[in-house]
Amino acid sequence: MFRLVMKTIASLVFLAALVLPRLSAAQSVSDIDGGKTLFGGLCVTCHGFEGTGGSGPPLNRPKLLRAPDDAALRVIISDGIPERGMPRVRRTTENELRQLVAYVRSLGKTAKSTVRGNAKNGLDVYGKLDCAGCHIVNGQGGTLGPALTDIGALRGPQYLRQAIAEPAAALPSGTLAVPGRGYSEYLPVRVVMKDGREIRGLRLNEDLFTIQLRDVSGKFQSIRKTEAELVRKEIGTSLMPSFSNRLSATELDDLVAYLSSLGGAR
Amino acid sequence: MKRFAIVLFIAVAGSSVFAQVSYQRLLNADKEPQNWLTFAGSYKSHRYSPLTMINRQNAAQLKVAWAYQMRAGVVETSPVVVDGVMYLTEPPSTVTALDVLSGRTLWTYTPNIPADVIVIGSPPVNRGVALLDDSVYFGTVHGHVMALDAKSGAVRWDVIVEDNKHGYYLTLAPLALDGKIIVGVSGAETGIRGFVDAYDAKNGKLLWRTYTIPAPGEPGAETWGKGDGWKTGGGSTWLTGSFDPDLNLLYWATGNPAPDWNAENRPGDNLYTDSVLALDPATGKMKWHFQFTPEDLHDWDANETLVLFDAPVNGRDRKLIAQANRNGFYYVLDRATGEFLTGVPYAKQTWADGLDAKGKPIRKKGIAPSNEGTLVFPNIQGASNWFAPSYSPQTKLFYQAAREMGTIYYRGEAVYKAGTAFTGGGGRAVNGDEASGAIRALDATTGKMKWEFPLLSPGWTSLLSTAGGLLFGGTDEGNFFVLDAESGKPLWDIQLGGQVRGFPISYAYNGKQYIAIAAGTTLFVFSV
Repeated sequence: MFRLVMKTIASLVFLAALVLPRLSAAQSVSDIDGGKTLFGGLCVTCHGFEGTGGSGPPLNRPKLLRAPDDAALRVIISDGIPERGMPRVRRTTENELRQLVAYVRSLGKTAKSTVRGNAKNGLDVYGKLDCAGCHIVNGQGGTLGPALTDIGALRGPQYLRQAIAEPAAALPSGTLAVPGRGYSEYLPVRVVMKDGREIRGLRLNEDLFTIQLRDVSGKFQSIRKTEAELVRKEIGTSLMPSFSNRLSATELDDLVAYLSSLGGAR
Repeated sequence: MKRFAIVLFIAVAGSSVFAQVSYQRLLNADKEPQNWLTFAGSYKSHRYSPLTMINRQNAAQLKVAWAYQMRAGVVETSPVVVDGVMYLTEPPSTVTALDVLSGRTLWTYTPNIPADVIVIGSPPVNRGVALLDDSVYFGTVHGHVMALDAKSGAVRWDVIVEDNKHGYYLTLAPLALDGKIIVGVSGAETGIRGFVDAYDAKNGKLLWRTYTIPAPGEPGAETWGKGDGWKTGGGSTWLTGSFDPDLNLLYWATGNPAPDWNAENRPGDNLYTDSVLALDPATGKMKWHFQFTPEDLHDWDANETLVLFDAPVNGRDRKLIAQANRNGFYYVLDRATGEFLTGVPYAKQTWADGLDAKGKPIRKKGIAPSNEGTLVFPNIQGASNWFAPSYSPQTKLFYQAAREMGTIYYRGEAVYKAGTAFTGGGGRAVNGDEASGAIRALDATTGKMKWEFPLLSPGWTSLLSTAGGLLFGGTDEGNFFVLDAESGKPLWDIQLGGQVRGFPISYAYNGKQYIAIAAGTTLFVFSV
């Protein structure tokens, strides 16, 4: 009996040695508070209040795809993920970095899901609206709009809700390698050539003298600006119609829940 | 036979002597427009070529003559050309000699850069070399200045400027004067104490060092408060200066105070950061200074190219020095005395209600970096930066690529630890479709804009004007183009497939004019 007790105590001490230092190193309350303040200044614009996501991925989950451990999370905060549209907002000190990591990790432990709809019903809404006409999920669907296979891991529910109701206000930006550097993606452009021909399409790329579009039929269009009478970048518009009048509140919730479920999100 | 031997001897000796780039040749660089002898084309830093073989009439026929593929990295090189040889630098600190006709390599030299080299505050770039007599001089990212034999690339000397473990590194092209090699350092983002150094061109011996930040008791020390802020105060000297042989003044510009965005431990104007210094080239002694941005909170280094030109001001002929500063203002000073003459915005700025009669900014309230972020124009890399303007004596215009972009500036902790970032914050650029750029042609004396050529994005393009009436520039999206230097009208363009961060230069060989520009990691050479 004594041996068993000792063995149990030894095991507990061993377990505590494994667990406790990790908790105290990464998750002190003052670190979490400090991290929350820093997060409010540096991260909230894209990752949302309490990390619920926005134009950037939700962080209120136990596992972060690109940051499986704290070391990876530190690298992402320090360097950004420029090819995925995340800048290094600013350099951080060791102390600031520890606080940010502590806060982001705390989000995965405490936060509740903010998605209130039913994802299964949302799949029906997705079908009813023929979203697949323009969007790919798991290899199936059209390609006029962005692929949605991982959209739940990439965007927060608030952003997805806005993208359905007011698509023009939620054009993605800085998420594609081309055109990159913060340019609005899927931006509608209207071109009138000097011979009167009119071309409408989404901007794929642009430089000082040329612009490359994909028109509604999927055809690539290359325009030399000096040969056009008008090149109008229709900032503030989207080819996607607003679905706010075609959905009940419940249907909208369900659709958001479905989209949020794509890519392994909650 | 004897006669033939003498002729042969003279020919060989002659070519050998001709290859020497004497100080006299550097002084008279504009007399040999077929060459591009210094970083900025001349001591006046005009980046102007007197060549006219490429001009408004034939610019539309420009074609690639050859291309040279460099090592991987960010390329911000400004080649020099002398007597048929081009010397250029490749990232991070390689020097290569090319045959100007074929683009084939004659020699290349790469120093041993340690894997743990500390480069904080810029990409590990090199902007070019200096030529003097039979040597090529360059700086390295591990903080050395080196001399190579111009014919073979063999090392003549190798000197440590300052310890890279403390964040000192070199990205600039040195400036060669009479027997002296002048260099400055990068590294304010690690809290260095900046300086300008002069080395003996023959053996690398340090002749003088002038710190850009005064120690306690020296003039200007009172602008740093009572603490130790001056020890880690920044004031880098990372771009090549200009020189007036008549006034015998060396002009060198200085960078931001450290930490960049948190001024807590440096209360005051922080002399001589964000300034231009006029130095005695014999001793390094400061003759005058002018500070553009006192107590800088936005990382607006004033290292931008200093352009020297002469013009009448209010009916009196003046020797002038001009700079399109990173803070958004264009400045003209008297370069004999440092007297402020003109300062006007050349790009959008939201931080100052103009400049006072002495040229000091009238700072607005609420522009300081904050925890939640403060939107201010110009952006964190400035309305201008290391990329060079051009001044044409033909048009009397100062050409500058302006960056129209804001940044949300954040203030953060600043903790000094040698060799690590000491910035106290940072910023997020407001880029994409919300940002833009423009090539602006300013009346050099007044700063009044004569024309502008809009750019899609705020780029990093240096400019070159020529006596052929042309202005060459590029874009971040890979365009390289020629404008009419009088009107700004585009005459020709080509897509080079990589960001244009090189400096365009011009030279001639066998009576044919060439234009060289690096885009991405490739150097392109054009002719008609």
